[in-house]
Amino acid sequence: MRLVPSFLVRAGQLLVAGASLLLLSGCDFNFWRMDGHQSTMIAEGPVARSQLNLFYVTCWVTLVIFILVGGVLAYTMWRFRARTEADERAEPPPQSHGNPLVEIGLIGASVLALVIIAVPTLTAIWYTYDVPEAEKKNAYEVTATGYQWWFKFEYPAEQAAVDAAGTKTPLVTGNELVIPAGRPVRINVRTVDVIHSFWVPKLGGKIDMIPNRANFFWLQADKPGYFWGQCAEYCGDSHAVMRFRVIALDEKDFAAWKEKQLGLARSVAAPATAVAAAAPVAALRAFKVNEVGVSEAFDRNPLEAWRAKQAVEKEENPALIAQGRELFAAKTCNACHSVRGHGAMGVQGPDLTHFGARTTVGAGLIENNPEQLRRWIRDPESVKPGNKMAKAYRDNKITLSDAEQVALTAYLLSLK
Amino acid sequence: MSSHAASASIDHHHDPSTSTGIPNKKLLMWAFLASDCMFFGVLIATHLVYRLHPPAGGLDPKAVFSVELTSFSTFILLMSSLMMALAVTAIQKGNVRSCRWSLLTTIFFGMIFLGCQVYEFQHFVVDKKMTLSNSLLGTTFYTLTGTHGCHVAIGVLWLTLMYVRSFKPGAGSAQRTWLSHQLLHALALLAFLGLCLKVTLGLVHAIQVEPSLGAAAGHFVKAEFLALAGALAALGACAWFARPRGPVAFGEANAIDVESMGLYWHFVDIVWIVIFTAVYLLEYL
Amino acid sequence: MDTTAKTAYLTKEDAVPVQPKLLAHPTAKTGLMSWLTTVDHKRIGFLYGVFALFFFLVGGVEALLIRAQLMYPNGTVLTAQMYNTMFTMHGTTMIFLAVMPLSAAFFNYIMPLQIGARDVAFPRLNAFSLWTFVAGAIVLNIGWVGPIFGVDGHNAPDAGWYGYSPLTSKQFTPGHSVDYWVMGLQLLGVASIAASLNFIVTIINMRAPGMTMMRLPVFTWMTLVTAFLIVLSFPAITIALVELMMDRNFGTVFFEVSGGGMPILWQHLFWVFGHPEVYILILPAMGIISEILPTFSRKPLFGYPIVVFSGACIGFLGFAVWSHHMFTTGMGTVATAAFALATMAIAVPTGVKIFNWIGTMWGGRLMMRTPMMFALGFVWMFMIGGFSGVMHSAAPADTQQNDSYFVIAHFHYVLIGGSIFALLAGIHYWFPLMFGRKVSEFWGKLSFWIIFVGFNVTFFPMHFLGLNGMPRRTFTYDPNLGWNTANYIASIGAFVLGLGIAVYFAVMIYTYYKGEKVGRDPWDGRTLEWSIPNPPPEYNFRVIPTVHARDAFWYEKNNREQIAAERAVAEKAEADHGGIHMPFSSIWPFVASCGLLIVGIGSTAFEAKWDVPGIHWKLGLSLLGGLVTLVGIYFWSLEGNEGYHLHLDKDGKPVKGHEQDHGHGKH
Repeated sequence: MRLVPSFLVRAGQLLVAGASLLLLSGCDFNFWRMDGHQSTMIAEGPVARSQLNLFYVTCWVTLVIFILVGGVLAYTMWRFRARTEADERAEPPPQSHGNPLVEIGLIGASVLALVIIAVPTLTAIWYTYDVPEAEKKNAYEVTATGYQWWFKFEYPAEQAAVDAAGTKTPLVTGNELVIPAGRPVRINVRTVDVIHSFWVPKLGGKIDMIPNRANFFWLQADKPGYFWGQCAEYCGDSHAVMRFRVIALDEKDFAAWKEKQLGLARSVAAPATAVAAAAPVAALRAFKVNEVGVSEAFDRNPLEAWRAKQAVEKEENPALIAQGRELFAAKTCNACHSVRGHGAMGVQGPDLTHFGARTTVGAGLIENNPEQLRRWIRDPESVKPGNKMAKAYRDNKITLSDAEQVALTAYLLSLK
Repeated sequence: MSSHAASASIDHHHDPSTSTGIPNKKLLMWAFLASDCMFFGVLIATHLVYRLHPPAGGLDPKAVFSVELTSFSTFILLMSSLMMALAVTAIQKGNVRSCRWSLLTTIFFGMIFLGCQVYEFQHFVVDKKMTLSNSLLGTTFYTLTGTHGCHVAIGVLWLTLMYVRSFKPGAGSAQRTWLSHQLLHALALLAFLGLCLKVTLGLVHAIQVEPSLGAAAGHFVKAEFLALAGALAALGACAWFARPRGPVAFGEANAIDVESMGLYWHFVDIVWIVIFTAVYLLEYL
Repeated sequence: MDTTAKTAYLTKEDAVPVQPKLLAHPTAKTGLMSWLTTVDHKRIGFLYGVFALFFFLVGGVEALLIRAQLMYPNGTVLTAQMYNTMFTMHGTTMIFLAVMPLSAAFFNYIMPLQIGARDVAFPRLNAFSLWTFVAGAIVLNIGWVGPIFGVDGHNAPDAGWYGYSPLTSKQFTPGHSVDYWVMGLQLLGVASIAASLNFIVTIINMRAPGMTMMRLPVFTWMTLVTAFLIVLSFPAITIALVELMMDRNFGTVFFEVSGGGMPILWQHLFWVFGHPEVYILILPAMGIISEILPTFSRKPLFGYPIVVFSGACIGFLGFAVWSHHMFTTGMGTVATAAFALATMAIAVPTGVKIFNWIGTMWGGRLMMRTPMMFALGFVWMFMIGGFSGVMHSAAPADTQQNDSYFVIAHFHYVLIGGSIFALLAGIHYWFPLMFGRKVSEFWGKLSFWIIFVGFNVTFFPMHFLGLNGMPRRTFTYDPNLGWNTANYIASIGAFVLGLGIAVYFAVMIYTYYKGEKVGRDPWDGRTLEWSIPNPPPEYNFRVIPTVHARDAFWYEKNNREQIAAERAVAEKAEADHGGIHMPFSSIWPFVASCGLLIVGIGSTAFEAKWDVPGIHWKLGLSLLGGLVTLVGIYFWSLEGNEGYHLHLDKDGKPVKGHEQDHGHGKH
């Protein structure tokens, strides 16, 4: 019985083929490789590896069952279908009601298949829960705290200078977590507002940051690297742009980084004569909505980009920096941000003491370069909808002229 | 056809029109109560979870609760279940008059329980400074016991309407105004119950604030005069509506209605036993 | 004596002297009033279906907007806030306003026919469930006045369909959006629980003689299991919502961290409901498939007892696996292991169903009609969804997949490939019964193939997206993460899927008016619903059938003489008893639901602060609505549950003038 007129079939085939070509031209079909920055299929540490191996176990077991069951199903559909009208009109087949032996056998087989998954699951649950006993002494401890919409990282063991008098406080950074490679890192996760979730796919699965709950987690990077992370629990307007980075460094680099971080913010001596940047400053170009803020060069070798950020900017303008430092106080930036040694003590926003040495702005969102940073401080709302800095701008009627934007940018980038 | 209602041949334990022999209404009530178990289960669980993880500096329940009063009201609620059971037995035998008195007693006991709860809440808020929002204990306690109180109040409302329903005129009556009588009767009875509650609480208050009984009596009469008069008037109206007026459309065939309501009432009592144990008694272990 | 007692229960012989005008029974058989007052389970089922399909389209449009936004990296179709609203409302709408009521439509329409009943146990309660569902749907969607008409502070809900505390608190979501969400879900809960209680009583108590529990059609069995799941799981979310509402309106501290509250409690309460809810969505679908496959294989279901038992088993285990939604919340090793193993265990009864469906087809003669195509599509797609579900049970691996697009792929394979395919199959399957017309095979199969291809193109790439680290509920993504192509393909697929659904609906509407007319039992069905004329008469069965075997109608067709003789005796007995008993229509369930709608809007759309004038509206409307509901229920009870008797002529038409009231003392 031919139900479909043949010309319609041919037209349909042509249409589908044409449309597919049209739609798929320009697609690179590499998505099945799953080799992105946040791929869970590339494990760069023991925790992620144990999770990935378990995934492969489940994947193979279910795939084998799928092929078996699917094969039988396909065979059944092919073998027993009514092919002709005579077939359809024929007497019904024998009315059988089932076969207990077959059913019990199949139940037994499925239980067996699940045991294959269950055993490695249980092993992995205990392994990924906490730092293995043997390595506990070697573990490095940090505390990650979720804010709407950024991450604070605290190093309880490292005492950083707050002022010249020698007052100390635990070291705090924002949105970029620097850890020693090859060492287990135990992360305590906390939140100050809603639920967030800490996720660096290449290093390990996620752990939720839940109010009134002391969760923890561990991970370890095999070797130095730059890892993408993202909040994985819906936390309000800007959830999608609440990102962060983890930078793993070898023992020597990590020590050097720590050394620098523990000190006060860098001060650039103002020139004796106030040659402020009186010259008119060009307005920043317009950005498209949601325009990308990470360059390809950065993307190719992010760890190198990070290392480059540790050095002082090439063309510093001390006058501009001095003006920016004044603006930082005048525009009440210091109410939310702290810059140790520069008198800024705010705690609601990320600590900016060594902000110039970070690779990203706006919680892992855009690159930390003069143009993107200026884009951010000019109009944070357009970069990250609903964020608290934009709200502070509105509430306190803060506006920044082009010159002020440039000065602030210069100051912030000088904070190495 | 009307002879069916009068015939005393209904088997109250087997309904031949259903597949299982259980009347539909009874089955509905059982299924609903299963659901209600989960409602209370979740509320009690919430309370217990927070009792196991109390916030620092939270209230001590033992310093708040007065378990004597609650024991008394628990006993009263249990007795109301007894009266409810008597009402069901009476109507299953076709004894409308006895059923009405049992219903009224059940309502009366239910109101005593509610009165105790209102007094308890007021005492906790005013004297013990535990409010709905100032502590986790207050939050879970008032929500849980308040939800139970709502169940009791709905039960009282249902009992009241059932009681009034038993005056619906039957075959042969020429009453054209029975619907408005039903409405007014129900309103009068509810007004009476509400005013009684107010008057009683007023009396307790007067005794608490005044030094001598005489002063208390004066205070009480002054404060509650209108309510007292209203209650008496409502009582009179109830009595007037309840005067005998010929045959009624309420009898053995309605036993299933009373029985379903009884199931609900017993369930609310049982839940209270669980709440009383979990919320009050466990604290004293 | 037997019949005496029967009458006393069936129709309360109130024998009231004068029925006041207010309590007069509505008699309209056509027009708006007839729909508002109907207590006929078929009309109610039809209305459930119409509303559900409407919201299915609404949810579909929301989904297409989501896919449009994500088609390219850094998309600009929607703002962040609007995107968040879309995924919240898409989830809520599809679950509560599309799949559940569409299942309820079949429960209402088909289940009583399958057990040989003339209506559900409580026809007016059924009407109340329907209208309360509509009230809930309105309250849930009323926040659209904000974005559409520009009313400040009123938005459609945007805190996720699962409303995790503390994001839903007054502090983090001021406005009214969460209030609409809370109250909308509460009303839907009331509707669902009331309807389920009704179904439970109907299935247990209203079966035709001989229809033992182990002869019930599997769809009816799954209705029963689903109803129990609803009745036992909805209280958890109801109480959680009450606690949230109290936090937002009365200053309680259930989930307030500052007062010692623990937001994790919300997650437990929500998923104690939420996981059974998953089975509430899929079990009816499995029931439908278990009806279609035997019919079009021309063979009884393979291993009926074990299919029924596994369905019940899934329902039971469904209450023991809720925390597998919470593997990333730091539950500790033992709890995680326990829930992981329980989750694996639930795969066994699910697998059993698939084995039995294949067993049903084995040795049969498969008639590849459109419903069968959808049913086979279901089996394939559900298998894929089931396997990715098993992957999630491996908790440590799940910490990578949780809240990623892998999960989205998984549950859309279960909910579209599963529930929706089955429901679309069910519409095709029972369409001839409901409307006496049949969908053209060509157009039916065309819509199937477009939907099938579109669905797979949309959701298969999402597995890769998730494994490649793309988190859910994100309105934007950067182009450097390797997600571009898969997202692009998924969006194209979504539009193909949308096209398929559009074709499907167009075909259905065309068929409703102009489709080919078919006679009784066009598919050579096996269950009782096919034994009656189509469209079914309001009284369903001229004679209540006596059931002798599991596939009751199949037995009837093979034993015509025995059945005819039985029918004659039964018809005579019923006629002697007064004819076919029908319940009166009633407006009061509708009135009671209207009251709930007023409460729903009144209590949510106004500020809860004492110093704001809105408080008067809030209190006033809430009280007014409560009063209307109370009055509705009170008059509903005063009205009594009488009915009237029908007498039929030879063709099954009611004889005019012979419709007798009873219960009024006239006879």
